[in-house]
Amino acid sequence: MMSIRRVISKIERNYIINNLKNEERIDGRGLWDYREWKIKHNLVASAEGSADVCLGDTRVITGLKYEVGEPFPDIPDEGVCTVMAELLPLASPLFERGPPDEQSIELARVVDRGIRHADCIQTKKLCIKENEAVYILFVDIYVINYSGNLIDAGGISALTTLISSHIPEGKWVDDHVEWTGGYITGETIVKELPIVLTFGKIGDIIFIDPSLPEELICDGKISISVTKDKVTSIQKSGAATFSIDDIQMLNKKAMELGNLLRDNLNLWQYKVNIE
Amino acid sequence: MTLLIKDEYPEKLFREDGKRLDGRDLKELRPIKLEVGILNNADGSAYLEWGNNKIFAAVYGPREVHPHHLAKPDKGILRVFYRMATFSVFERKRPAPGRREKEISMIITDCLEPVLFLELYPGTSFEVFIDVIEADGGTRCASTTVAALALADAGIPMKSLVTSVAVGKIDGKIVVDLSGIEDKAGEADLPCAITWFNEEISLLQFDGDMDLNELDTFLKLAKDALKEIYEMQLNALKSKYITIQEKYNGGQVKQ
Repeated sequence: MMSIRRVISKIERNYIINNLKNEERIDGRGLWDYREWKIKHNLVASAEGSADVCLGDTRVITGLKYEVGEPFPDIPDEGVCTVMAELLPLASPLFERGPPDEQSIELARVVDRGIRHADCIQTKKLCIKENEAVYILFVDIYVINYSGNLIDAGGISALTTLISSHIPEGKWVDDHVEWTGGYITGETIVKELPIVLTFGKIGDIIFIDPSLPEELICDGKISISVTKDKVTSIQKSGAATFSIDDIQMLNKKAMELGNLLRDNLNLWQYKVNIE
Repeated sequence: MTLLIKDEYPEKLFREDGKRLDGRDLKELRPIKLEVGILNNADGSAYLEWGNNKIFAAVYGPREVHPHHLAKPDKGILRVFYRMATFSVFERKRPAPGRREKEISMIITDCLEPVLFLELYPGTSFEVFIDVIEADGGTRCASTTVAALALADAGIPMKSLVTSVAVGKIDGKIVVDLSGIEDKAGEADLPCAITWFNEEISLLQFDGDMDLNELDTFLKLAKDALKEIYEMQLNALKSKYITIQEKYNGGQVKQ
């Protein structure tokens, strides 16, 4: 068993920092390398889309459920997608039972905003009848093992879930909805693929994908969501401060690494075809 | 809330050839896959696939009791938290734990406690977290089975393992290990668990109707099925160490 404490000893902290100064990480990575990604899709038959994503030892399972409901009055022809995250107490001794805490709300919100502002979900295609019936999608993220950087793992797992989705197709008949017998799949619902990348900062050293010990000692983090050519959301968290030069550098870096990761993961391979 | 597809059950639960809808005989179990030690943060963990059920269990302890007033000065306490994921069922479940989850947590706690030596751990708690990722009938039995494995994987002294299975009655016939459809559309469901050190029943619930002779048949069938699952549990525990042994004897480890 790995022992996890909230506080890291000074000697371990210094070891991590001295390594980082030489552009080395304790797990052998460079400053701009991700841990290994492993992705499985469509593993939960009761969900209308699901993904099991491992980023190193961090493991996240996400599922999608739908409901048909009334649209918001200000967007009568658009469906709704909400993201929820739960840090299961089984995932780490640092997580406790109870209603969602700040960390799980931040995870859900950052993933949600990354997707929402990126022209990712085609909400107009989630409309069955204007003013009457739209799809409401629930993307629920469950953390199964916590070993740092939940936001990036959660982002990829939410995206894979949406791509693998297959929702019963509805039509409006007289005054109610009926199933057409077909399905709407991720190919119709998803357009852009926003990737969220999290950078940690210790002193004046910045690096990507903090592992658990790095996350516990870092001064702060910054998560940047990028599409192919745009930055769509940024979240600075923790007590670190970033200079304007740092932020400019990180935006460029996020774009470059985001495109690289999008190509490497090739998420469209996880789409599901249902006849 | 509205869904486009309805959760309907077939009228008959047996096929023309006399087998059950998923092709099983009356006494046949669904395929079961058990793994231990899969979550490296927990003191002990296990994963189970039983038919379409997919369940994780993790054990933390002995550790400090939160909230503190629950601690007992003369013995440790066992707490089990059974939860279902929102997407584990046909209709999205609300994220907050409901009455059903709390009740099942309690009966699993009561079922597992007899095999532990809690008097050796005064003032501490053992916490078992069970998370159902996909549910398809018999999750309380599957959860008990996988939780017992997680406790054993944590190296906590136990008198024996605990194994659980459901027997029931569908279309007038007595069957072992009800699937989700059989559970909802059948006439009777009897989940039970056995503590192997004394071979006694440690979990017992019943819903449905039966005459006095049937209970006897129910329990006899259950015991055969339990033995079969018990062997699988033992193999799962052993296979973790066989894997380690092979790894170190195979010379794949750097000096």
